[in-house]
Amino acid sequence: MERVSAARLRVLFLILALLSTSVAGKTVYWQALKRPELLAQAIDQVRTDQVLAAQRGVIRDRTGAILATTVPLRSLYAIPAQIPENERARVSVALGTLLGRDPLAIRARLDGGAEWLFIHRRLPEETARAIEDMHLPGIGFQAEPKRLYPNDTTAAHVLGFVNDDGDGQYGVEGAYDTLLRGTPGRLMVERDPANRALAIGVREAQPAIRGSDLTLTLDLGIQAAAERELRLALEKEKAPGGSIVVLDPRDGAILAMASAPTFDPAGVGVADLESLRDRAVSWSYEPGSTMKALTIAAAIDQRVVAPTTSYNDVGYAIIGGRRLNNALGRAYGPTTVTQVLERSLNAGAVFVASKLGAQKLYDYIGAFGLGRPTGVDLAGEVAGQVRPLAEWYPVDVGTAAFGQGLTVTPLQLAAAYAAIANGGTLYRPYIVASRRDAEGEHRTAPVAVRRVIGPETAATLRTMLTSTIDNGIAANARLSSFSAAGKTGTAQIPDAAGSYESDEYISSFAGFAPAQDPRFVTVIVIERPQSRLLGTLSAMAAFRGLALDALRYERVQPDRRP
Amino acid sequence: MIAATLHFGSRSRRESARGAVRGVRRDQARGATALHRSSQSRPRARALARTSWELRSFAFAGAFILASFLLALLYLSQITGLSAGGYEMQRLQAERDELRRQAALADVQLARLDSPARIEAQVKRLGLVRVARVFVLSADALQAKK
Repeated sequence: MERVSAARLRVLFLILALLSTSVAGKTVYWQALKRPELLAQAIDQVRTDQVLAAQRGVIRDRTGAILATTVPLRSLYAIPAQIPENERARVSVALGTLLGRDPLAIRARLDGGAEWLFIHRRLPEETARAIEDMHLPGIGFQAEPKRLYPNDTTAAHVLGFVNDDGDGQYGVEGAYDTLLRGTPGRLMVERDPANRALAIGVREAQPAIRGSDLTLTLDLGIQAAAERELRLALEKEKAPGGSIVVLDPRDGAILAMASAPTFDPAGVGVADLESLRDRAVSWSYEPGSTMKALTIAAAIDQRVVAPTTSYNDVGYAIIGGRRLNNALGRAYGPTTVTQVLERSLNAGAVFVASKLGAQKLYDYIGAFGLGRPTGVDLAGEVAGQVRPLAEWYPVDVGTAAFGQGLTVTPLQLAAAYAAIANGGTLYRPYIVASRRDAEGEHRTAPVAVRRVIGPETAATLRTMLTSTIDNGIAANARLSSFSAAGKTGTAQIPDAAGSYESDEYISSFAGFAPAQDPRFVTVIVIERPQSRLLGTLSAMAAFRGLALDALRYERVQPDRRP
Repeated sequence: MIAATLHFGSRSRRESARGAVRGVRRDQARGATALHRSSQSRPRARALARTSWELRSFAFAGAFILASFLLALLYLSQITGLSAGGYEMQRLQAERDELRRQAALADVQLARLDSPARIEAQVKRLGLVRVARVFVLSADALQAKK
């Protein structure tokens, strides 16, 4: 009997020992081996590691008016499980009415089986308030940053836009994306079951650094005037596109830049792809007769001709075995270089270029900044096309002299005319006047790229271009109380076969005012105007309207009696 | 203490015997009374001392427990206050953020209303026309007249 009891005791001991060992082993397993994993899980339940989005910088015009800013807007979400079945129809109808959407589609989404879903993102504030006031069950709001452009489509191409991922695209938003976006921060904090951060407990915060604020050289008043004039010209000409550039010739600051067709930067998802192209910097065209001013400036600067130098105009010029005609083939007889500009004579431009020579002409084309990007601080600039001199045929000296066989961007042409207007210095156009960050304000210093022509040459050209408006072909650009200087241009459009499209043109005007102390340089380009060769009339009308507004707006004292 | 009391007791008994010889019964009686008194007061003192010690211990323990309780209460109230303060801080931060958001929206609204394109559209809607001629006075001429 005792033996049996002892045996039982031993068995019992063994069982207990095994159980104890098993419990001890399991304890070691969870406490020692799996400890880090369990600890991490426990911490995860109460601790959140949150990325703090950096506030994107504000973009303002030179007067301080807001052009682009980021504001958190409320996005509407639903937790379907919290909406009672008998309430879903009412909720769907209420939301559909306020959001202007189909209630059945909303109901279908609520019944789709999702635990949590966005109904509508970044609502207008009034709509969000109206929905909030209804106290609908299972409906809530979450703030999401939205880039807003208070001036709608104004300066859309200059500003660019921000895509859904928060990346700046095109324009200033694209070119200055790194500065504007700032640096995200991080917040690690313990939370209670209601997801509220606890004051006590672990808290590690690395604050977000907001993006730099930018102040542009752009003036909203002049920009609005430029866009109005461009719109009127395009409507009148039923033209598919065009652009206007307004520069301050004294330092290359861009005061206005308009491009059509345009888009709404706040609704770029529905925009036509072609409308995103900024025709002022991302598109080039043959400048036509606006080029003659640069050819003559080069020749006068090289002293191979003077304004009074004359030749006998027979209506055409022969160069490289090719005959290059004046517009409409008219002959003018004895003609001075000033009259070449006044009458926009192709044969006269060929005469001047022949005196200058291919090498010099090519050098000056490059010196005026054609054929290479201006270096403007905007995304997507193209260089235009100027073939290397080695690839020129003899006839190219003649065609280049009156703006055929090479392409420029409107901005390049404006910068070149600004060099004539300011006394001969080519400035790099720029759009950002200053940026402000935590360290203070950083102003952009204007960059004088090079001296292209002497001050005397520039003054002579200003006088000749003034005469072109006062006595010549650009009379429609004359201003009532101000002197103005400028030149028209009509260019053919190259086709895919290497020839030119028949009866399709690009009309343009490049000018500045007041003529002797210029404050604005303006280039206006109209693509395929319906009035064909007379499209320059609309370009000149746009110049007149814009220049008068800008001069009055800037309170420039008139230099002529009306 | 106990040993001293026993010693004192045997000496009293010897003195009592000598007193009988002398015939001083009163003294004997006096001695007996004194003995009775002393034998009665000593346990009381002892009891008193013990009671006092127990009271003191109890008081100390009670005070310690009370102090601990008060400290715990203070700690809890501090923690609760801190926690409630944290929630209040969060509420105020959320309120501040909302006010900032409203201010930003108001700025955008202001910029929208100030937009030249919008003003021009309003001008058109109101039927206003452009000034045909703008008269400018030359400051130089006025200066020369002075």
